[in-house]
Amino acid sequence: MTLRRVLVANRGEIAIRIFRACREASIETVAVYSDADVDAAHVAAADRAVRIGPPPARESYLNVDAILAAARDTAADAIHPGYGFLSENPQFARACEAAGLIFIGPAAETIEAMGSKIAARTAMETAGVPVVPGATPADQSDDGVLAAARSIGFPALVKASAGGGGKGMRLLSDASSALEEIRAARREAASAFGDGTLYIERYVERPRHVEIQVFGDSHGNVVHLFERECSIQRRHQKVIEESPSTAISPAVRQRMGEAAVTAASATRYRGAGTIEFLLEGSGEDARFYFLEMNTRLQVEHPVTEAVAGVDLVRAQLSVASGERLPWTQDSLSQRGHALECRVYAEDPAAGFLPQAGRLLLYREPAGPGIRIDAGVIEGANVPVMYDPLLAKLTVSHESRAAAIDRAIAALRTFPVLGIRTNIPFLIRVLDHPGFRSGRIHTGFIDEHLDALTKPPAVTHEALAAAATATTASAPTPGETSRSDVQDQYRAKDPWTALDGWGR
Amino acid sequence: MRRTVTLRSLDAEHRVETSDGRLVVDGVETEPPRRAYAIADGDQRWVFLDGEVHVFEVARQGRKRARSYQGTLTAPMPATVLRINTPAGTVVKRGDTLLVLEAMKMELPIRADADGTVTVVNCRIGDLVQPGVSLIELS
Repeated sequence: MTLRRVLVANRGEIAIRIFRACREASIETVAVYSDADVDAAHVAAADRAVRIGPPPARESYLNVDAILAAARDTAADAIHPGYGFLSENPQFARACEAAGLIFIGPAAETIEAMGSKIAARTAMETAGVPVVPGATPADQSDDGVLAAARSIGFPALVKASAGGGGKGMRLLSDASSALEEIRAARREAASAFGDGTLYIERYVERPRHVEIQVFGDSHGNVVHLFERECSIQRRHQKVIEESPSTAISPAVRQRMGEAAVTAASATRYRGAGTIEFLLEGSGEDARFYFLEMNTRLQVEHPVTEAVAGVDLVRAQLSVASGERLPWTQDSLSQRGHALECRVYAEDPAAGFLPQAGRLLLYREPAGPGIRIDAGVIEGANVPVMYDPLLAKLTVSHESRAAAIDRAIAALRTFPVLGIRTNIPFLIRVLDHPGFRSGRIHTGFIDEHLDALTKPPAVTHEALAAAATATTASAPTPGETSRSDVQDQYRAKDPWTALDGWGR
Repeated sequence: MRRTVTLRSLDAEHRVETSDGRLVVDGVETEPPRRAYAIADGDQRWVFLDGEVHVFEVARQGRKRARSYQGTLTAPMPATVLRINTPAGTVVKRGDTLLVLEAMKMELPIRADADGTVTVVNCRIGDLVQPGVSLIELS
């Protein structure tokens, strides 16, 4: 069937990304929002918008009944879950189907099978895909999980079985601190996914994280769209992703791609998915292990879109309406180099503390090979209760070196003021000789933490600019004047008064 | 017109004089940067210059630098109180986790900055707390 109206059960940049694809496909769009997001950019980006509850995600973006009611009231015929929130919740996929709505994603049984790391691992072993040595605690008590960690040996990783994105994942370095970490992992798992079941596996030292994008349709076709290297991460939260990976040879790429297609075909996979691998070593000798399968669109999907020249969201919409994949394996190729930088509202100099508040100034870079996926606009308030991702910068260029130069130049013209962001940190990572050389691993950020996070030297130029700054305090309704220079800006829209300084 | 402003960075004070379009920073005549972004927010001055962000505070006459009140532990950002480990009267050691906040799906432990006894807990589980407000006090 042809989709006419799609509701996006998400917020921020991903909701806006999906609305764009819908508009291009002449599909009407419905946004949902919590009370914290009344003025959010994604609400303005849709054809209609429905309030679904108070600020906490549990009562809004995770509220299945409210989302289904919104879909019914707006006569939507499909729901796109985005990433995070309900995207990998099989009950939600089932509830959509029961309500006569198309869930834009794989079958509920596939989400269920892959969502449990335990079941996913078994399925991969059966399909002949290599897996990381691990243990499955049948006894899910804290002591039971600890015993399982002991039996595979320290260091070990404890993860939310229902998880993804690093939430609820902890490193157990020794037996003495393990219980506290297990309890913390369980709390984070329960709070993020509503399921505290934990999973334990061996910790591979200095590994890379390389994942393969797969895509299937409801006619049994499955292809892969090459790899994304996601080794630049911090506490299992990805920061910079790129394609191609510097670590794999064409032969290894082909083996990984084939393994991913085998794995996806075994689950009769429909829609966009990602097979994550741990990579040990590099070049022809690299060995890869199945880590997990994400049964959704990934945050870093623009990297694949850039090197493969495809639109993954548009393809999701086509496949959801029953069409065949727009590509065959042989029609796909990987061209040039793409890098994605995640711009987070966080303060790297203060232990990456998440930041909330108003974006007094926010100006996106533009130019050839520069793509911005943003969930905010200048003047927006970044709320405290959701993910701190503000925007994604994706650059593409002919070579990796040129792509790095382009990303750095773009970030140097990406001013965000009012709250701290990781933009200066991203520039330092990109410009680091270790990153430029391509010899990266998942511990790269921790290894170079001091150099990457130290505050900048105070320069005369910075002081000169600060001394002549104009106020950004907008005289918003109900807010009293708090600046002694505010009267300069009584006129017109306060944001038009802001400009680059000192031209 | 001649104007002087004193700006505080993390560890130093700086004087910037402006007159007739000339800028003198800490006694050195400085060419203004060609492309910078600067914003005032109350007494804070935010600057974006070539990919780095600087935040300064304008020093006002007769006003002392806001100092964190010793023995008071505050939220580093707006957050929800997830757990309170140490009710009033608990004897704690430096580094003990007194309470745990949650913000942006992350747990933020508030730890004792010294040995002492908890005198007052100013928040309850589930409260949304603002930065700078005292959550718990130690003697």
